[in-house]
Amino acid sequence: MQDLLYFCQQLINGLTIGSTYALIAIGYTMVYGIIGMINFAHGEIYMIGAYTALIAITGLATLGIAWLPLVLLVALICAVIVSSSMGWAVERVAYRPVRGRHRLIPLISAIGMSIFLQNYVHLSQGSRNIGFPALIDGGFQLGGDESFQLSISWIQITIFVTTFICMSALSVFISRSRIGRACRAVSQDLGMANLLGIDTNRIISATFVIGAALAAVAGLLLGMYYGSVDPLFGFIAGLKAFTAAVLGGIGSIPGAMLGGLILGIAEAMTSGYLSGEYKDVISFSLLILILLFKPTGLLGKPEVEKI
Amino acid sequence: MIKKFTKLALATGVSAAIALPASALAEIRIGIAGPMTGPVAQYGDMQFSGARMAIERINASGGVNGERLEAVEVDDVCDPKQAVTVANRLVNEGVSFVVGHLCSSSTQPASDIYEDEGILMITPASTSPGITERGYELVFRTIGLDSMQGPVAANHLISLDPQRVAVIHDKQQYGEGIATAVRDTLEESGVNVVMFEGITAGDKDFSSLVTKLKQADVDYVYYGGYHPELGLILRQARQADLDAVFMGPEGVGNNDINTIAGDAAEGLLVTLPPSFDEKEENQELVQAFKDKDEDPSGPFVLTSYTAVQLIADGIEQAGSTDPFEVAEALREGSFETPIGTVSYDEKGDMESFEFVVYEWHADGSKTPVN
Repeated sequence: MQDLLYFCQQLINGLTIGSTYALIAIGYTMVYGIIGMINFAHGEIYMIGAYTALIAITGLATLGIAWLPLVLLVALICAVIVSSSMGWAVERVAYRPVRGRHRLIPLISAIGMSIFLQNYVHLSQGSRNIGFPALIDGGFQLGGDESFQLSISWIQITIFVTTFICMSALSVFISRSRIGRACRAVSQDLGMANLLGIDTNRIISATFVIGAALAAVAGLLLGMYYGSVDPLFGFIAGLKAFTAAVLGGIGSIPGAMLGGLILGIAEAMTSGYLSGEYKDVISFSLLILILLFKPTGLLGKPEVEKI
Repeated sequence: MIKKFTKLALATGVSAAIALPASALAEIRIGIAGPMTGPVAQYGDMQFSGARMAIERINASGGVNGERLEAVEVDDVCDPKQAVTVANRLVNEGVSFVVGHLCSSSTQPASDIYEDEGILMITPASTSPGITERGYELVFRTIGLDSMQGPVAANHLISLDPQRVAVIHDKQQYGEGIATAVRDTLEESGVNVVMFEGITAGDKDFSSLVTKLKQADVDYVYYGGYHPELGLILRQARQADLDAVFMGPEGVGNNDINTIAGDAAEGLLVTLPPSFDEKEENQELVQAFKDKDEDPSGPFVLTSYTAVQLIADGIEQAGSTDPFEVAEALREGSFETPIGTVSYDEKGDMESFEFVVYEWHADGSKTPVN
């Protein structure tokens, strides 16, 4: 019984971290789906979202406002606004001018943007780990025996619920709304969409903004869950999320969600049953295996060669 | 006429140029290498604060044999690659003495460079034993070693009669070193060490580790590493209702662990250098720090002060600024410093250094445990 409980606990841990990878991975996958480019600065957008949320929370605290729903809402709105603006600005400054050139150029531009943003935050906020207040505290025991208690914390539940809402909202948006339809059209064939009168520049900007907004949500959630932020943690998270996106099939939004969950569970299980030291080894080995046997990822569509 | 003037101008210029380096030679340049930025910059602050105070006070009382001390400060971010870069920079700047580095993983590669180039190095904070085990002549410490600190921590744990102990480390030279020392001492005394595992420094998610600790039903956890990771582990352990007492080395004894862990930091056990700032003899010095609005109670402030003072005393004792002769003087002599009477053994370690076990509190204060 204890083994089953332990497995369930690690599963819960894995799903939690997996959902957050999924939120960040969506940004990567949407951008790749539309313009075929990996946005390496996306991890930094997530980090900026976390910092903005922290600044908002601290600011409200000094003003004496402590009512939790209000604080969270304000922090979320601030983080989303700042991250979305950043995402939009990054696209205009670093990617639009070099779109259409050799594939390597936007890639290097993205890496440069990533380093720039890391150092910008480093210079303006300091390089130390800053503690994030634990706003959503406590949890409850799901049951178990005296040797092992299965517990789930409120913040974990919040992460599941928020991620689920965001994913559903995004799916509905993409499949039902006009802009969503335009996004799908642009990702299928950019040139044709242009010919049909869709303002592709606006759609591409919208994609970056949506991805950044989701990353901001992830930043707030993970900041609360983990408890500290520093300028470099976006890079590592971005790398993992990128792996998740590739795992699930880059270009496919359900793929990003699936890839995120699989990666999170793989990490938690490795940590739990083998050793924390092998966590990253197993995650990336999984990626290599999937790419060897199914190069387009789990849910990716194979590239159809149009003659 | 013009030819004469040109010759005169040239002669003046050349003699001025010769005179200038001569005045520069009347200063002794001491390099201070530590983390100004990065996750453990708080400890770097302590190091720079102590060293600067020492240089100020020594210069104010006439310098060393009439010569002023000048600091050359460099930032190594507690990263081995950066440490090598700044060490090379210090060599190019022509320093003969270095107070640094702070992190053991930075001091080790940097000391290779200093030994090669004939520069005397005193580290005020690196406790990894490997640093003085290579037979180098020019490497010294003003802090104890993990081979002393580990047993102090382990013996304290043993006195608490632990049932199941987990030992975790961050896979770096300092963290893994001291964790290994603690585990070895615990196992020699027959304590049941149920886990010995590493985490990656810079990681944020320790939920799986915490779950594993819960399942292993541990009552004590020793963590070897720095406060950013331990703060998160404490916080996530508290969230998951893990009921264990944590213990860490001096790399976690820092107010920042309170901002990260909050209440979960209450009851954390830490081994630290003794509070030199509470000694009677140091009160005047402590007041000097407070006058400058600086905090002398950090573990590395007075050890850095002492490092600079030892360089100055060593130069006076040896009667020369040649690093090898100063090293000889340091090994042969015995010096009165804010951290007590210092005398060195062959390897460059102090003959005695006490580590004290403290209990850390959620408000950042600490009380010694007996």
